[in-house]
Amino acid sequence: MNNESHILSAFDRDLEGIQALIMKMGGLVETATLSAAEALEMRDTELAEKVRSGDRAVDELEERVDHEAARLIALRSPTASDLRTVLAVMKTAGSLERMGDYAKNIAKRTTLLIDLPQIEGASGTVRRMAVAVEKMLRDALDAFIARDLALAENVRARDHEIDQIYNTLFRALLTHMMEDPRNITACMHLHFVAKNLERMGDHTTTIAEQVIYLITGQMPEEPRAKGDRSSVASLEG
Amino acid sequence: MDVLREAGNLTAATEVKIAAEGVQVYYGDNHAIKDVDVNILDRTVTAFIGPSGCGKSTFLRCLNRMNDTIDICRVEGRITLDGQDIYDRRVDPVQLRARVGMVFQKPNPFPKSIYDNVAYGPKIHGLTRSKAELDEVVEKALRRAALWNEVKDRLQAPGTGLSGGQQQRLCIARAVATAPEVLLMDEPCSALDPIATAQVEELIDELRAQFSVVIVTHSMQQAARVSQKTAFFHLGNLVEYGDTDEIFTNPRDPRTEAYITGRIG
Repeated sequence: MNNESHILSAFDRDLEGIQALIMKMGGLVETATLSAAEALEMRDTELAEKVRSGDRAVDELEERVDHEAARLIALRSPTASDLRTVLAVMKTAGSLERMGDYAKNIAKRTTLLIDLPQIEGASGTVRRMAVAVEKMLRDALDAFIARDLALAENVRARDHEIDQIYNTLFRALLTHMMEDPRNITACMHLHFVAKNLERMGDHTTTIAEQVIYLITGQMPEEPRAKGDRSSVASLEG
Repeated sequence: MDVLREAGNLTAATEVKIAAEGVQVYYGDNHAIKDVDVNILDRTVTAFIGPSGCGKSTFLRCLNRMNDTIDICRVEGRITLDGQDIYDRRVDPVQLRARVGMVFQKPNPFPKSIYDNVAYGPKIHGLTRSKAELDEVVEKALRRAALWNEVKDRLQAPGTGLSGGQQQRLCIARAVATAPEVLLMDEPCSALDPIATAQVEELIDELRAQFSVVIVTHSMQQAARVSQKTAFFHLGNLVEYGDTDEIFTNPRDPRTEAYITGRIG
């Protein structure tokens, strides 16, 4: 990696510019994630609506990142770590945009869940999951800016924790549905909420992998720990 | 991507054409090239990049003994072409330069007709036996240099009357007419417009089916476009040599990175 300035200072400004845009995107997605989970736990319709309408800003930022990155490639012909920075920025923006959509979807389901019977413990677990995802995302973006390889690898390893919370919640929701079929609607929505957060964890891992590529020039090879076993889980299992 | 890369490897040979070992060049007291080891592969385009004064042109000129013409220049170490030491006493530099041709930065056609510019080399090296054969060699060289269609009706016109890009392609035709095994190009496109540059780059890519091409260029993008191997020189040292795609996406040496990304190194 190279921390020196370019001879052409406008090149530095452009590179910093696109990275600042994804940090801004990241900030919005972090807030949306926490707010969506808070709205669910506090049954706060107003906050849920705010999250839903706030996603447009994330989408607009992604468009700007794509536009600026295309312009930078056309005008500056980036190479080596500069090229990797642009590629990592574009991929990260794509992941953040998806994460924004998931947060929006959680908020949308929250507005429905508010009118349904409460499922004991579920929204608390969802909130813990959201806090863990937000922390992972914050660390991944910090690792991006600081070019911190150890932190990026740490984030990648932590996706496992999200998967574990998801598995626990999956089982709890199954149990609630077996106990009383009137819980099914709420449990199905809560399951989608949990699945959204689990997918957000995966996108955060993708961002951490982009940071590793950005720093080393290589995508990490060894497969990371898989914690999501729900695809093979059953009540007997 | 892997499929593409494999396809590329099928066409790229890996036999060593020119091997340089422990090459030192001095201009008087000035140590211009410091202990350079590098293999130039057959049927491969190798780009030499580096800041002005880094020694890339000096090293290029060692490969066909062009430095012999400079009195104060002294070359040490060993450079072999197909295993034969080119600095051996018994090697005739004129014969060597027929095998290792050169194209310079500025087009320098002879003040002769287009035809004679190309025919000159084959004539003095006695490569043809008849006028018909010579005509054929000239046409083939001009076609290879993508110039034939533009000049076929005025072969007796002076070479100096052509445009800059055409003159450079004429010089390339002149260089390939002697059927060299290696073609050295010292910034061949620096005086050309983008269209002529693209034509020369296309030609270089075609030439690599038969020759080994070594190109010195200040344009990083040109090195990236035309070469399969890139060597980065800095202050007389060969800092890094490797696959061009590696050098431009993930160079190992911080000096290479600083140079190709346009930072103060």
